[in-house]
Amino acid sequence: MQIRLAGIGGQGVVLAGVILGEAAAIEGLNVLQTQDYSSASRGGHSIADVIISKEPIYDVMVTRADVLVALHQLGYDTVKNELRKDGLLIIDTDLVKPDREYVGAPFTRIAEESTGLALTVNMVALGYLVAKTGVVKKENVEEAIRRRVPKGTEEINIKAFRAGYEEGLK
Amino acid sequence: MRYPFPVGRSDFIQGDEAIARAAILAGCRFYAGYPITPASEIFEAMALYMPLVDGVSIQMEDEIASIAAIIGASWAGAKAMTATSGPGFSLMMENLGYAIMTETPLVLVDVQRGGPSTGQPTLAAQGDIMQAIWGTHGDHSLIVLSPATVQEAFDFTIRAFNLAEKYRTPVVLLTDAEIAHMRERVYIPNPEEVEIVNRKLPQNEEEARLPFGDPHGDGVPPMPIFGKGYRTYVTGLTHDERGRPKTVDAEVHERLIRRIIEKLERNKENIISYETYALDDAEIAIVSTGIVSRSAVRAVKILREKGVKAGLLKLNTLWPFDFNMIEELAEQVKKIYVPEMNLGQLYHLVKEGANGKAEVELMPKIGGEVHTPMEIVERVVG
Repeated sequence: MQIRLAGIGGQGVVLAGVILGEAAAIEGLNVLQTQDYSSASRGGHSIADVIISKEPIYDVMVTRADVLVALHQLGYDTVKNELRKDGLLIIDTDLVKPDREYVGAPFTRIAEESTGLALTVNMVALGYLVAKTGVVKKENVEEAIRRRVPKGTEEINIKAFRAGYEEGLK
Repeated sequence: MRYPFPVGRSDFIQGDEAIARAAILAGCRFYAGYPITPASEIFEAMALYMPLVDGVSIQMEDEIASIAAIIGASWAGAKAMTATSGPGFSLMMENLGYAIMTETPLVLVDVQRGGPSTGQPTLAAQGDIMQAIWGTHGDHSLIVLSPATVQEAFDFTIRAFNLAEKYRTPVVLLTDAEIAHMRERVYIPNPEEVEIVNRKLPQNEEEARLPFGDPHGDGVPPMPIFGKGYRTYVTGLTHDERGRPKTVDAEVHERLIRRIIEKLERNKENIISYETYALDDAEIAIVSTGIVSRSAVRAVKILREKGVKAGLLKLNTLWPFDFNMIEELAEQVKKIYVPEMNLGQLYHLVKEGANGKAEVELMPKIGGEVHTPMEIVERVVG
């Protein structure tokens, strides 16, 4: 499965990709993660690609995404053409105005309401993605979060992930 | 021995991180470097890990000093490594030659980015292939390895140390920005699972007096270690078997340089590594190395589905080079394609090997992106 996460710098898109990849690795799946971002630390486009497969992975980047998660209009506009025609588009409904079918929720608002921190939006979106696709197990994502987020922020990130996951089950 | 990272299990890490961990497992205990994108993460990992394994990691004033420091460390008995990218690799060329001339085991990682000069710091390229092989002046040989995955970056780093020790030579690990920064699942073995080769040491006074001789007839002299009781003279000047400068004696020069080249040439079969994919009945061959090989495998699969008998030869070593193997391939196939992320470097080696037995066509690409499988497919089917 080819998954592309797109947003702007500062939204934690790359970290979400790394955690998704780590979860797949914990499950014993083959996984590749690459990123593309502008040199600005905030405000430029930011893209994380994750390819997960039982077979060996030869691709080095997402070429035809099965799933596109867009957290910002700039990220969406940059990569929207690489989503398959029948692919799944997941958006932050407050921040992205798409021109095709989509699912989604106001992820940034959910982040603020559940943890008080808008910057946990990446974990909310990740939870929603995992609930909608089942690409990896929820428990493995939570283990990956514990391994990868800064010490002391594990619980707040898992809380945001679960809020997104619950939203995705609706 | 406790390792500062998990062993005996898989982890999800970047190519740069894999190279650092592999170096530690291979026994590297001295790292000297100067930060440069996209190789800096190797240095960051070494700075973190080395103190925890009683090793040394130093930031030097530049890349010239970095390679000089690891040459010194190697003569003091340590397994040593440095890592850099194009601009720093250029600065290291003179001392790379010194390491070849003094037969100093070391590992030099070049994480290729777009060049020349500072070029494209964050983007991948394969523009340093010829420089890795021929960048330093004078007649010489060395070993160049080229990984295509993060697992290979890990495995080939361990192999680089072992080859450096076995043949008393510098080894260049030639990777690129794409592999350096991509994350993949990598198996990090237990130390007991890792094959370790250590350099030959002199067994007696007599051997220690001939640090540039050939007492075993294999072209690889035992290496006396500084501080172990032997008096050794090490120079970049042409030297005799005892290490004394002999700069105008043609015979001494020829004997030294030919032995340095021959010690690798005669062991080609043990050094050269490659993989093939669907090559047995192929009529069209793709020859590639490094990151592009991944797209090439996919391209071969797609071509086979289209009924084109295509196959892949993926080169894991770039030097020594097996020209005969390419000639045999050229006798088998109608045409050889060489996709590479430059304007033609591996192509020239393949063309020389093919020796006119098959047409060889270059598929160049520069700018920072890897060839897509379809770009290769479309070029083959026209």
